[in-house]
Amino acid sequence: MDPKKNITEEINEEIREVLLEEGAEGIYKCYQCGKCTSICPWFQVGLYDFPVYRFSLETAMGMVASSEDKDELAKEIDKIYRCVGCEACVDQCPHGIDTPKILRAARRLLVDFGSYPEVLKSTVQKIHNVGNPFGEPIEKRADWAKDIDVPEFQEGMEYLYFPGCLPAYDSRNQNVARATAKILQKIGISFGILGIKEHCCGEAIRRIGAEQVFKEVCNANIKEFSNSGVKRVLVSSPHCYTTFKYEYPEFGADFETLHITQFLSKLIDEGKIEPKKEFKKKVVYHDPCTLGRKNNIYEEPRNILKNIPALKFLEVENFNRNLSVCCGAGSGGLWMEWDKDERIANVRLKQLIDTGAEVIAVACPYCLQMFEETLKSMKTDIQVLDVTEILYESI
Amino acid sequence: MCSEPGQNLIKESIITDKLERVVVACCTPSLHEETFRKAAETTGLNRYFLEIANIREQCSWVHSDMNEATLKAISITSSLIEKIKLNDSLVPIKVPVTPKALVIGAGIAGIQASLDIANSGYEVTLVEKNPSIGGHMAQLSETFPTLDCSQCILTPKMVEVGQHENIELITYSEVSEVSGYIGNFKVKIRKKAAYVDHNKCTGCGDCTEKCPIKVISEFEEGLGKRKAIYSPFPQAVPNKPVIDKEHCTYFLKDGKCGICQKICTLKAIDFKQEDSFIEDEFGAIVLATGYDTYPKENFSEYGADKYPDVITSLQFERLVSASGPTEGEILRPSDSKIPERVAFISCVGSRDPEHHLPYCSKICCMYNVKHAHLYKHQVPDGEAIVFTIDVRTAGKDYEEFFTRVKDQDNVLYIRGKPSRILKEGDGLVIWTVNTLTGKQLRIKCDMVVLATAVVPTKEAIELAKKLKIQTNENGFFSEIHPKLRPVESMTPGFFIAGCCHSPKDIPDTVSQASGAASKVLEMFSQKELSLDPQIAFVDADVCAGCKLCIPVCPYEARVFDEKKRVVEVKNALCVGCGSCISVCPSGATQQKNLQDLQISSMMEVLLGS
Repeated sequence: MDPKKNITEEINEEIREVLLEEGAEGIYKCYQCGKCTSICPWFQVGLYDFPVYRFSLETAMGMVASSEDKDELAKEIDKIYRCVGCEACVDQCPHGIDTPKILRAARRLLVDFGSYPEVLKSTVQKIHNVGNPFGEPIEKRADWAKDIDVPEFQEGMEYLYFPGCLPAYDSRNQNVARATAKILQKIGISFGILGIKEHCCGEAIRRIGAEQVFKEVCNANIKEFSNSGVKRVLVSSPHCYTTFKYEYPEFGADFETLHITQFLSKLIDEGKIEPKKEFKKKVVYHDPCTLGRKNNIYEEPRNILKNIPALKFLEVENFNRNLSVCCGAGSGGLWMEWDKDERIANVRLKQLIDTGAEVIAVACPYCLQMFEETLKSMKTDIQVLDVTEILYESI
Repeated sequence: MCSEPGQNLIKESIITDKLERVVVACCTPSLHEETFRKAAETTGLNRYFLEIANIREQCSWVHSDMNEATLKAISITSSLIEKIKLNDSLVPIKVPVTPKALVIGAGIAGIQASLDIANSGYEVTLVEKNPSIGGHMAQLSETFPTLDCSQCILTPKMVEVGQHENIELITYSEVSEVSGYIGNFKVKIRKKAAYVDHNKCTGCGDCTEKCPIKVISEFEEGLGKRKAIYSPFPQAVPNKPVIDKEHCTYFLKDGKCGICQKICTLKAIDFKQEDSFIEDEFGAIVLATGYDTYPKENFSEYGADKYPDVITSLQFERLVSASGPTEGEILRPSDSKIPERVAFISCVGSRDPEHHLPYCSKICCMYNVKHAHLYKHQVPDGEAIVFTIDVRTAGKDYEEFFTRVKDQDNVLYIRGKPSRILKEGDGLVIWTVNTLTGKQLRIKCDMVVLATAVVPTKEAIELAKKLKIQTNENGFFSEIHPKLRPVESMTPGFFIAGCCHSPKDIPDTVSQASGAASKVLEMFSQKELSLDPQIAFVDADVCAGCKLCIPVCPYEARVFDEKKRVVEVKNALCVGCGSCISVCPSGATQQKNLQDLQISSMMEVLLGS
C-alpha cells in the first residue's frame, strides 16, 4: 500500500505575490457570501461544481494554479478555464470583486508555464500568426465585402467599420457584416474598412491569459489605426468594443469606439433611419453579457427592435438585462470543448425558446455563432438573427 | 502634563514666574485644552491666555523621522508662542436657557426621552408625523431575546406620554422651521389638517366603521387595509382618527359621501379644517426620527418587486402579531396558506457597499432568530431556514437565545447569500451555495422573508438639511465624538436618540434616549450657558457693507445694520467657523484670538524654519 501523503497545506506566499502582480485585485474584500456562485451560468448547467466564491480566498492563500500533483493541476486548469467572463458574479458581488480578472491572473501564470488548454494555445497562435483565431488566410479577410463595394478606409472618412474576426470570416456571421455595411451605405455614412489590414482586436487572447501576445496585437492595431488616420470606429462585436474602449487607451490608443447598436439607435431617434417594412415575427432579445452588464448598453438594441413595424418584442422574464445569462463563448469559451449536455448555451437557448419567440435577436457575433452551433443539435425552428440583420430587412 | 502634578507645575510656574501667557505642547486641544485652561484660571490668569500646541496628532503620530519631527514640533510650538502674544483676554458669552425641550419623533426613543425629561419636572413638546405615537415598536410582535410582547411593554409608556402633565403631545405634525441657538430655539410646527376636531372627538370609532373606502394600511406594511378615516391601530395614542385626504371620496369627488360627518353625533368632522401652525420656544431639541426599511423593490434578483410571497421582516412582524391582518396566524400573502417552509434571508441591502448600503443593520441577525422561533412555535412541522453570511449576536443574552432557538426549534442555518429567488409552481425556489460545505443548492420554499436594511427616514434627511444638522454619508445624524459624546449632535443644542443615529435595537435605543435626556437635563440645570467667545467680529470702521458674508454664514449669524450700513455678528449664533472671514474683501471681519496678524506671524515661524 502506498504511504499516505500529508494533505495539509501552508500558505504559498510566492504564488500569491505573482497572482497579485498579474492583476488579481480586491481579494481581501471577499466575505465568502457565495452570491457569485449561484449567479454563475455554470450553476444553471447544474452538472459541474464551480465554486466561484473560493477564488478570492484561495488567491489570498496562494492556492490557485499551485498544485504540484499533475492530476490535481489538470483539475485546477479545467476550473480556471471554465470562466466565460460573463461578469454576472461581478454584477452581483456586494464588494464588486472581479473574479474573472482574478482568474485571468491565474491564466497568465499558466500561459507563462505553457500549461493551458491545447485548443486555446492554437487559437492564440493563429491570432498571432494570421490575425484571426481560425487560421484563415489574411488575404480573405475582406471577402465578405467583395460584392457590395465597400471602400477601403482613407483619411478623412468619418468612420472605420471594424467587423471583427467572426463577421469577417465565418460564413453565417459574414451576413451581419454585410447587413451592417449595407445599412451604412443606404443612409450615406462616410465609412470604410481596413480590409486585409484588419487584425483581431485581441480581446479573447487577453482573457485567455496570453498577455504578451495581446500586447503585440494591440500595439500593432494602434499603429495601423493611427497610420490610417482613424478617429471613430464602429464595431459589431461588444468584445472589440470593450477592449478598444477600456484597454487600448492604456497602450496609447486615441480613437472613439461605438457599438453598432448605439450608432443605429441614435440614427433611428434622429429620424435618419426609418424602418418601414414589416417584420411579422415574435422576437426575443438576448442581452449579450459584454454589451449589457459590461457596458450598460441595454436600451439601444431594444430601441432598434421596437422601432421595427409589426415586430412583436419579447423579453426573457427573470433573465434579461443585468440578469441575462451568457451564451458561453466569452473568455475563450468559444473554443473550449465541453460535453454537449454540459454547455451554458443549451441553458440559455432553453430560456430563449421558452418565451415562444420565433426569432432570437442578438447583438454579438459570439452569441450568434454559439447559438447557431448549439441549435444544430436541438429540435427547434427558432432562428437567430443579429439586430442589424433584422433592421436591414426592414429598411 | 495633564496629570494633577503636571497641572500643578503649570499653576506654580504661573504664580512664581509671574507668567502672562502659557503654551502647552501636547496632544490635540480637543482632549485637554479645557483641563489646562481650567488649571490656569485657578491662578487668576484669563483662560484664553493658555494655548495648546498640538505636537502629537499633527506631528509625532504622523512622522517617522524623529529628527525632522522634533524640528517640526519646535516650530509648531514657536508658532503658538507668536500667536498667543497677540491674544486678547476674553470672557465667555453668557446666554439664558429656556428650560423646555422639543422631542422630534415619538417612537420608543422619543417616548423614553420625553418621559425622562418630563419626569424631572421640565416641560416637553413631543412632535410626531403620524396620527399616533409608538413608531415601529408598535408594529412588532415579540421582542428578542426575552420574547416580551412588544405592544404590551410599549403601550403603558404611550399612555403615560398621553397623560403626562409636563408633556404636550402634537401628533400628525412636523417641524417646519427652527431658528435661534442653543438654549433659545424658536420653532414652528405645522399641524396637518386631520379634518376631525380632536377637541370634540371622543374616539368612538363609528366614523371609521362606516367609512366605505379601504386603503392599503401603512401600519400593516401593505398586508392589511385601513379606512380613509382612520386611527392606525387600536391602541393608538391619541386614539382619534384623521382623514386621509388622498383617498377620501369627499375630497376626491367634490363633496360626495360625507358619511362620517353624517353619523358623528359630536359634529367633530370638519372638512374645512386647514393646516395650523404652532410656535414655541425651546432650550434643547432631541432628534428621535427613527428609521425606514430599505425598499424591497430594489431586489429584482429576488423577485421582491413582483412575488407577493417574498416579504420583508417588518411584514412578517405584522403577520405574526396578534393584532395583525391575519390575527397572528402565519399565512402567506398570495393564497393565505400556511407556509410549510419559510426562508429568512439576512443582509438584504446591508453590507453591500457596491449596490446598496455599506453598513451592518445590526438588528436583523437577532430578529431572524426570533422570527424562526415564532414560526416554528406556530408551525412545529414546518421548516425554518435562515440564510446568513455571519450571525452577529453581540448583546446581553443574545448568543444564548440564538443557540437555544437553533437547537430546540431545529432551525437550519445555511451560510450563503442567495443570488436568485424564482417562482416555481405555487412556491418559490432559492438559488444559493452553502459556502461551508461547498454544495450548490436550489431550495424550494413557500415564503421568503427579506431582512431589508435599516435606513434613516426621508423626513430626517430633509430635517438635517433644514436644520443644518450634520449626518454621515448614509444620512444618519452625526455625534460629536463616537466614543465619549455619543448623544450630542455636532450642532449645539441638538441631541440624538435611537435609529436616526445608527441602526440599533430596543435596549440600545432606550439607553441612548435616556442618555440624550440626561444631557438635556444637564443643560436645563444651569441658569445660563457659557459659549465660546472666540468668534467673528466686525470692525465697523473698515466694513464697507458689501454683505458678501451674509449668505456664506451657515448659521445665519450675520445681519446688516441698515442704519450703520455695516454687518453685525449675532454672538450667540456664531460658532467661529471662519467662512465670513474668507470672503470678506476688506479684512473687516476677523476672528477673536485668530486675527490675520496672528495667522501671519504663525505662518512666518512655520515657513521660516
